[in-house]
This record gives sequence, C-alpha cells and structure tokens, in this order.
Amino acid sequence: MLTDRKRLGLLVLLGGGVTLLLWYLAPWAVPHRIFGGEGVLLNPFGHHLPQGRLPQGYQDTWLYPVFYLSLAWLLLSLLLPWTRAGVRGLYWAGALGLGLFLLTYLLFQGSVAQVNAGAERPLLRRFSLGLGSYATLAYGLYLLLLARVFSPGGLAFLVRRRGVVVPLFSLLLASFLGGVIVALLKETPARAQDLRDAFLLKLDLITYTYQLLYSPLVNPSGFLQSLLLATPLVFTGLAVALGFRGGLFNIGAPGQLILGAIAAMLVGVYLPGPRWLVLPLALLAAALAGGLWGAIPGWLKARFGAHEVINTIMFNYIAASLFLFLISANEYKFFGKTLYLPFKYPGYEARSYEIRPEARIPHWTDLVAPGGELSFALPLALLLGVLGYFLVRKSLGHRVLAATLLGVLGYGVGGLLPGPEVAFGPDLTSVRLNGAFLLALLALLFFHFYVFRHVGGYELRALGLAPKAAEYGGVAVGRKVVLVMFLSGALAGLAAAHYVLGGGIDEYRLKQSLPYSVGFDGIAVALMGQNTPLGVGLAAWLFGILLTGGLQVNLQLGISRELVAVLQALIVLFIAAGGFLPRYFTDPLRAAEVELKAEKEVKE
Amino acid sequence: MSLDAAFLTALLLSTLRQTAPLLLTALGGMFSERSGVVNIALEGILLFGALTAAVVVERLEAALGPGPHPWLPWVGVLAAMGVGGLVAFVHALVSIKYRADQIISATAINLLALGAPSLVLTYFYGNATSSKEVANRLPLWGPEGFQLSPLVYVAFLLVPLTWWVLFKTPFGLRLRAVGEHPEAADTLGVNVHRMRYTGVVLSGVLTGLAGAYLSIGFLNQFVRGMSAGMGFIALAALIFGKWHPVGILFSTLLFGFASALAIQLQGSEILPAVLVQAFPYVVTVLVLAGFIGKSRPPAAVGKPYEK
Repeated sequence: MLTDRKRLGLLVLLGGGVTLLLWYLAPWAVPHRIFGGEGVLLNPFGHHLPQGRLPQGYQDTWLYPVFYLSLAWLLLSLLLPWTRAGVRGLYWAGALGLGLFLLTYLLFQGSVAQVNAGAERPLLRRFSLGLGSYATLAYGLYLLLLARVFSPGGLAFLVRRRGVVVPLFSLLLASFLGGVIVALLKETPARAQDLRDAFLLKLDLITYTYQLLYSPLVNPSGFLQSLLLATPLVFTGLAVALGFRGGLFNIGAPGQLILGAIAAMLVGVYLPGPRWLVLPLALLAAALAGGLWGAIPGWLKARFGAHEVINTIMFNYIAASLFLFLISANEYKFFGKTLYLPFKYPGYEARSYEIRPEARIPHWTDLVAPGGELSFALPLALLLGVLGYFLVRKSLGHRVLAATLLGVLGYGVGGLLPGPEVAFGPDLTSVRLNGAFLLALLALLFFHFYVFRHVGGYELRALGLAPKAAEYGGVAVGRKVVLVMFLSGALAGLAAAHYVLGGGIDEYRLKQSLPYSVGFDGIAVALMGQNTPLGVGLAAWLFGILLTGGLQVNLQLGISRELVAVLQALIVLFIAAGGFLPRYFTDPLRAAEVELKAEKEVKE
Repeated sequence: MSLDAAFLTALLLSTLRQTAPLLLTALGGMFSERSGVVNIALEGILLFGALTAAVVVERLEAALGPGPHPWLPWVGVLAAMGVGGLVAFVHALVSIKYRADQIISATAINLLALGAPSLVLTYFYGNATSSKEVANRLPLWGPEGFQLSPLVYVAFLLVPLTWWVLFKTPFGLRLRAVGEHPEAADTLGVNVHRMRYTGVVLSGVLTGLAGAYLSIGFLNQFVRGMSAGMGFIALAALIFGKWHPVGILFSTLLFGFASALAIQLQGSEILPAVLVQAFPYVVTVLVLAGFIGKSRPPAAVGKPYEK
C-alpha cells in the first residue's frame, strides 16, 4: 500500500505527464479557421500553417513566454507533493494554473484583436484557444481537486457531492469517448506532414467539434435556440424525474406527449372564445390528456400489478397509432362502411388545421417587447414574486400565495409602464422560443414545491425509497402510484404545448413531424439532473446547447448531428453504471461509512 | 377483395416473414429474462444487427468487386450476430458488474441505437438515413411460389431447440435457477454471474440474427429506424408467451399475423391499417393486466445479484 504522499505524488505526475504530452501534441491556439475546420494551428514546438506562413497581421510572439512560464509552473507542481508545502502548495499551484490560463486567453485575444476588429468573426467557430491551452486550465483544476481530496476529510467531501460528481464524471467520460468516435469517423481537413502534425490536426478536429457543440453559449441566436430546444426537455425530464422519485420508471413520456398534443390541438383549433379562457383551457387539456395517458398504466400497476415499464412502452405505440389515425387521413373504411374525420388539413402532408390565434402561446418577442417596446411586465412580476416569497414569514402556503399574487400584480403594473423601444435582428426573431419556456420554469418550481415542500411529495419520495415502509406509514400506495403517473404524464403532456400551441418547430399545428422522441431524451435529462429541479433545468439546457451546436457540427464538419444523441446515450449508460466510480459514490450506506471515517480523520 | 387462395397464400407467407424476426428476438429475450436480466434493449440490438449486416455485406461487395458471392450474406449474418452479442454484453456488463438499473442501461442502448447508425451511415455513405443497397441478399429457399429466407426456417427450428436447451439440459436448468432464485443456485455451486452473462449475450446473438434478417433478408439495405418497434413487440410476445418457447411461438405467430394483416389490409375496406398495427400493443396491455391469462415473470428478474 502506498502512503498518501506517494499516491499524491504519482497522481500529480500522471496529470503533469498528460498535460505535457498535450502541450507537445495539441495546438495552443487557432487564430484563424475557415469553413470546414481547417485552421492555423499554433504550437510552441512548431505550428501547422496551411499556407506555409502566418497569415497577414497575425502574431505568435506572445506564445513563447506563455509556454516557458507554463513549463516552469508544471515542473514546480510536480515537485510540490514531495516538499513541506505539500497539499497547501498544490492549492496555490492550482490557482496559479487558472491565472496562467487567463493570461493565455488575454494575450491570445490581444494578438487577434487587431485582425478581428471590424470583421464579424465568432469566437469558438472562427478563432479560439486550442487543446494545449485548455490542458493548462484542466491541469490547474485537477491540482485544486487533488489538493482538496488529499486534505483531511477530502474523500468525504467528494462523496457528499456525489449527486454532482457522478453526472459530471459521466459527462466527461462520454465526451472522451465521443472524441474518440470523432477521431475515428472524421478525417482531418488538411493532410499531415509527419506524426506530430497528424496528432496536431486530429486533436484540433476533436477540440473544434466540441467547441462547435458548445458555441451556442457565446452566440446570441444560438443561446436563444438552446433555450428553445431545452423547453420540451425540461417538461419530459421532470416527467421522468417525478416517476423516479416515486420509484416508477415512466418510459411513456412520448405517448403522453402525443396525447397532450392531440388534446391541445382539439381545444386550440375547435374551441372559439377569448384568449384568457381558451389558452389556459388548451394548456389544461394537454396536461389532462397526458396525465390520463400516464394514469392508465399507473392504475394497471396499482390494480393488477402490471409492470409500468412494459405498459408505458406499449402505450407509446398505441398513442402513435392513434395519432396517425386522427391526422393522416379523413376517411376510413370499417367493414365497408365509411367513417369521416374532420381533423386532417387538406393536402399531402399529415397535419391538423391551424391553432386559432387566441389559443397560441406568444412568441418571445411579444413577451419581452410587445409592440416593439421593452416591457417591464415580466421582470417586475419576477421581482415582486421573489420578494413576496421571501418577505412573507408565514406558512409555505401563504408564502406561495403571496408570491403568486404579487407576481400577477407586478405583471399588470409592469405592463402599463412605458418602456424604451428595442429592435431585434432577424437572426433573433426567427428563433421560435415562446412562452412555453416560462411554463417550463414554472414547472420546475412546481416540482420543487410539490416534491420537497409538500406532504404529498414527502409521501411520493417515501414510496420511492421504501415502498413497504411508506405503506406502513400510512401512504395509500395504490392511489399514490396512479397520482404519480398522472402528474408525470401531465408534465409530459405539457411539453406538447410548446410544439402545438407555441409553434415550437415551424407552424402552429399538430404535425406528423411532432418530435415525440424527446420523451425518451427526458430519461437522459432526469438522470443527468439527478431528479432535482435545478439539476433537470441545467441538464435540459446542457442538452439544448449540445443539440443546437450539433447543427453547426453537421453544417461545418459534415458529422451527423446524431453525435449528440450518441453522447446522450453514453451519458445515460455511464450514469446508470455510477460513472464506474467506487461504490461509495452510488451506495448511500457505503457513503455513510466514508463520512464516519472522515470525521475521525478530521479530529486527529 | 375476395378471400381466394392467392390472397391466403400471400397472407400466410407474409405472416411467416413477419413472425421470423419476432420469434428470433423473443427467443433471445427469453434467454436473458430467464437468467434474471430484463432486456428491453432488444429494439436497439435489432438495429445494430441490421446495420452491421448491411454495412459489412456492402463493404465486402465493394472490396471484392462485382459478381455473385453466395457466401457473402452469411458473413453479414455472422457479423450481425457478433455485434448483437457485443452490444448485449455491454448491457450485461453494466447491469451485472456495475449493478446498474437494468431498465436504464437497456434504455441507454436503445438511445444509442437511435443515434449511432446515423454516424456510421454518414461515414460510409454520406447520408444519415440509409445504406447503399446490397447485391447479395440472403437466398430464398423453398418450392416455387412458397419461397422463404433461410432465417425463417432457422427461427422456427429454434423453437424445439430452445425448448430442449431450456428444459432438458443442465445448462437450461441452471439458467432458470439463477433467474428464479439466485441465492439457491449459488449455494449449489452455480456461477450466477456467468450464467447471466451467457443468457444476455445469447439474447444479443439471436437478436442480431433477427436484425440481419431485417436488413439483408427482408430488404436489401439498412434504413434508419427499420426495426419500427419490433423489439418491443418481441418483448410483448415474450410476456404473452409466458417466457416459454412454445408460448412464444404462438404469441409471435399471432403478432406476426397481425402485422401481415395490417400490410394486406393497406388500401382495403375492412379495417384501417394504422389501427391494426396497434393490435399487439393492446393485447400485451391486456395480458399484463391479467385479462387474457395471467403471465408471471421469472422471480428474480430485474434484480442485481450480490454475494
């Protein structure tokens, strides 16, 4: 058995070695890149220059001092574990690494600022740092992590945060494997001169792919697009997460979404009336229909003990059949008799009639700036709502009520206030983000309050953790199962509101292209978010970013955007396996053992 | 449309063709579930098998040049079986060794099967939806007018074979034992984990075979999402057939007949095909609820085993 110090030393050596290798083999910065991925790759050991020289106006003089500084830092960090400074020194070294990365970034920006001035060259897509510089950042973070883990009680620190550690580690593993897949499937845009050049190009290709995947973060229209794609994922993610919390695996979100979509279409197209009535009714119909479609398997489980996983899968296919039946034709023959349906819009495509304007969920521009004037309605509603919740010091019910009332008041008052005129470019207005996004945020709040602050949610969690104990404690298990499945289905049904009522894809209709498979993506979202509302929200956004970036990957590199689906699947697989981490990261009992040991350690 | 002999023959042939992949997949699933591992990854493994068979055959054709190569589809079949076994092994590894929730790990494989084929197809063919057509499909065997793919015969021959393996051999006894009561089996010296690995990998091999049938037996190329829920119907047939080869034979025949009927009814005036397609799913729901005979799964199915 190695002593702690030796192990720390070896781990630092390992990390340092990998970093050094990447510094040698990967580009440090890519100041210029053309469509298709070919770029000017800077590396202190020798650049890869497509034209044989640096393009006009670019400089590489900044790179060498940064490199020698980084090298000194790396050598220092390798020695640290063996000195008296030990773990505390590693904290400093880690912080120094972050500083070095910042310096690298600033110097790089300075070197390209002049050339970029005036030209619209988006960061990450057309110029960026490279894997070599990212390695500096990663090594810095790695040192910080090691320093924490090797301080007293360090392991317990990690184990306590296993809800974050396991998904993030799985994401890292999946990304690594994704990188290998990209390297295997895609040839580099330029031909390599020698072995090191080949590595330079391959590693740059992988880095570029991931930069494209995450590029919506630094691009306004991509940012909005990522929120748009995250909206349905929040709903389906919450649907699956609610089931998980109650010990049920609702794999039927796609079917529930379909039923929600059908109901929303029925109300939205055929029910005349004023906006304040029809829109809420259409939303309610979507939730109810989805909920009922979920409640039936719930009832079958409660009453007959039929497993909900198989049943919800079957209900997905039944819903898909029903959906096609309603929308793909208007005339059906039953034993020679003809049945007429009114739902399909004339024409080749299978789609419904248009949703009436009153039942549509407003586009984001109409919410943020109705009539071209920035509105204070939403910000004020949010502000007053939060104030109401935190200022009223009474029972939870009172606080939520106060927050709601004040929020509505804020919305009314804010709507009356005059605002400055704003105009959005066509790249922003063309993004079909709509009010369903706000509904998704409300759904997150609902999940939080119901699951963690309400008796019903307490019972639900008890049912999930220990069904027998819950029953003994007075939970009506059968009824609860039906209720959980109903709520879960209702959340999935609401996702349809985004597509049908919000025109989330391209039209305010129910169409055959309804992407109901986001119901399956909800499983990945729920697992990545560890069934917490904050986690689900962030995970949905992460996948929204990746899906948006996937379009760029497809466009610029010709790699199928299904790469994102593969990443998602790998994440699910790895989280299911506990990230291949030791068992105390997945087993609460073993986690408690680690905790106890850590307490002793800290006392000594 | 009259119920003449030609129609009935066509319906019978179509039923057999539709039943074969279901039967292969369901028999495979039986090995996995009898050993105590739920395998809802059948759908995904089908796709991987179909993709492998089509791509391997097409690539070899491109390498070997034109001309009939009667042995070539069989290479594709073997490759599909291998890849099916491999994918199933991943499911086994994650759910047996790492004690993952078997349903989640299988779901991951199904999700993977939705995305991964597109990457492979884009790499080889530059489009994300289908492979090039292969020239060397599986042959057709049988008398004139009643020709079927060899894999159809294989599927039906596998029924007595699996019955014999499962109920008349020591291997079958052990497999059933670890699915019903792993502790007892372990006490008697049966290696529970090894039996489960074997069961799951066998299910992958048979499902891969079914996948090969879809892409180079039934069609002559891989098309994205071509399994169209067949893996789940097979799962339903497995439940309806009460985890027994003979039961599975009849349930897959019923579901195969339903799909054949749906195909034959396209454009007819009896029942809308979209509704007939939902028939297997509705039947499964009813079976699970106990409206049509009670179906009981192996007792230890879905539970990780630890010493």
